Amino acid sequence: MANVAVVRARFPRAVARFGRFAGFPGRVLDGFGRMVWFTLMSVGAIPLTLRRYRAETVRLIASIGMGTGALAVVGGTAVIVAFVTLSGASLVAIQGFASLGNIGVGVFTGFFAALVNVRIAASVVTGIALAATVGAGATAELGAMRISEEIDALEVMGVNSIAFLASTRVVAAIVVILPLYGLAMVMAFLSPQLVTTVIYQQSSGTYDHYFRTFLRPEDVFWSFAEAAVIATIVMITHCYYGYTAAGGPVGVGLAVGRSMRFSLTLVVIVAMVASLALYGVDPNFNLTV
Amino acid sequence: MCVLSGRALFRWPLEWRELIMQCWFLLSVTILPTIMAAIPLTVLLTFTLNLLLAEFGAADISGAGAALGAVTQLGPLTTVLVVAGTGSTAICADLGARTIREEIDALEVMGIDPIQRLVVPRVLAATVVASLLNSLVIIVGLVGGFAFSVFLQHVDGGSFLSTLTLVTGLPEVVIATAKAVSFGLIAGLVGCYRGLTVSGGAKGVGTAVNETVVLCVLALFAVNVILTTIGVRFGTGH
Repeated sequence: MANVAVVRARFPRAVARFGRFAGFPGRVLDGFGRMVWFTLMSVGAIPLTLRRYRAETVRLIASIGMGTGALAVVGGTAVIVAFVTLSGASLVAIQGFASLGNIGVGVFTGFFAALVNVRIAASVVTGIALAATVGAGATAELGAMRISEEIDALEVMGVNSIAFLASTRVVAAIVVILPLYGLAMVMAFLSPQLVTTVIYQQSSGTYDHYFRTFLRPEDVFWSFAEAAVIATIVMITHCYYGYTAAGGPVGVGLAVGRSMRFSLTLVVIVAMVASLALYGVDPNFNLTV
Repeated sequence: MCVLSGRALFRWPLEWRELIMQCWFLLSVTILPTIMAAIPLTVLLTFTLNLLLAEFGAADISGAGAALGAVTQLGPLTTVLVVAGTGSTAICADLGARTIREEIDALEVMGIDPIQRLVVPRVLAATVVASLLNSLVIIVGLVGGFAFSVFLQHVDGGSFLSTLTLVTGLPEVVIATAKAVSFGLIAGLVGCYRGLTVSGGAKGVGTAVNETVVLCVLALFAVNVILTTIGVRFGTGH
């Protein structure tokens, strides 16, 4: 024991550096554990939320759907999600038309749009738009509350702060994502059609034929389910980072950045896992029926 | 703001030290998310394209599909997401904190132009880092596409490699780099602008960072559509 104290006193910098690097895996694991705990707490408190904080949930549904502050000026979450999916889906059509044209099957653009937009593009793009608008907004809001000690005040008043702040937001996100994703889907269907038939002058009958033939209701259903899962995960991540923000105004800014980083990765991982699970064994489309 | 930083861009001396520090900072913030986001997206893209090509009976040109996807879409798109979600938020949080602490006002009082001293190095750094990240994502995309197609989806390795350059050539790479550079420029400018116009304490900084992400994602998707159209027009195979 004495030796440890001597070494510590003799080489303070080396010991500190050792602690920093050797303790890294432990700290990562610790952070991960906290995140899992927060997730369990916030999901577990959903029944309590639905029983007790119904008014707050309804208020959040309204504010998430419409957007608050500067976001409301450009039209709220709905307009942003619509615009981003519009661009994403037309990107698919532009690239798809050109690339399929290169190998001589330009008529399959409708099929390509039906497949890629429904299975990949719409859910990933909506997830990212949601993380950027609603999620980052939640982190900023909760972080500011944590910094100004409002969350501590809630706890002192005997309010279950995770249920009141995080679970309400998760419920609101799940409720809002369904109509929002419906809007995104409509955009993802309309914009490739416009790009292909109006700008690239493909005959609209050809496009419609291939698009309708390969647009499968099951795919659309799973796409909605995927979007709901993405919304839940994004919301929990952002609430976690906001709830645990520390270090003054700077800390709030950093927390928003960190939560964005993490949820970007999560969105694409969820999309990948869903796609492999749903279409890995059986791709579920037959061109040569 | 754009005009001011555009003018300051050509005014010497450039803050080399700050530029290098910012490049290092941005890279250290963005490199891990880039790789973490690029790998799943690569798998997703390769997987879907290979299913499609196998259905056409053209699994042997899956290299062409993977290369085209990685260079023209995956590289720029992942760069967009990471630069918007990570780089510009970091810039905005950093500058916003300085604005809140009135360091920017102090600089101005001392007669130092914050645009030249802080904004120009950050915008340049974002541009440089975006183009580097783009090439990183393309490399991850190609290697990941090869590994996934050859080892998991049983595409022939030789034909993957030989069709790699079938529809992807120099024009695609140039366009992809041009996209990445313009994304970096836009994201840097937006982040700096919102960072310097922060007001209202902790909530203000959070909101500013939030708005930065939204504005960047909107602007970058729009720019991506335009540049893709241009790229398709002048691409290989036309």
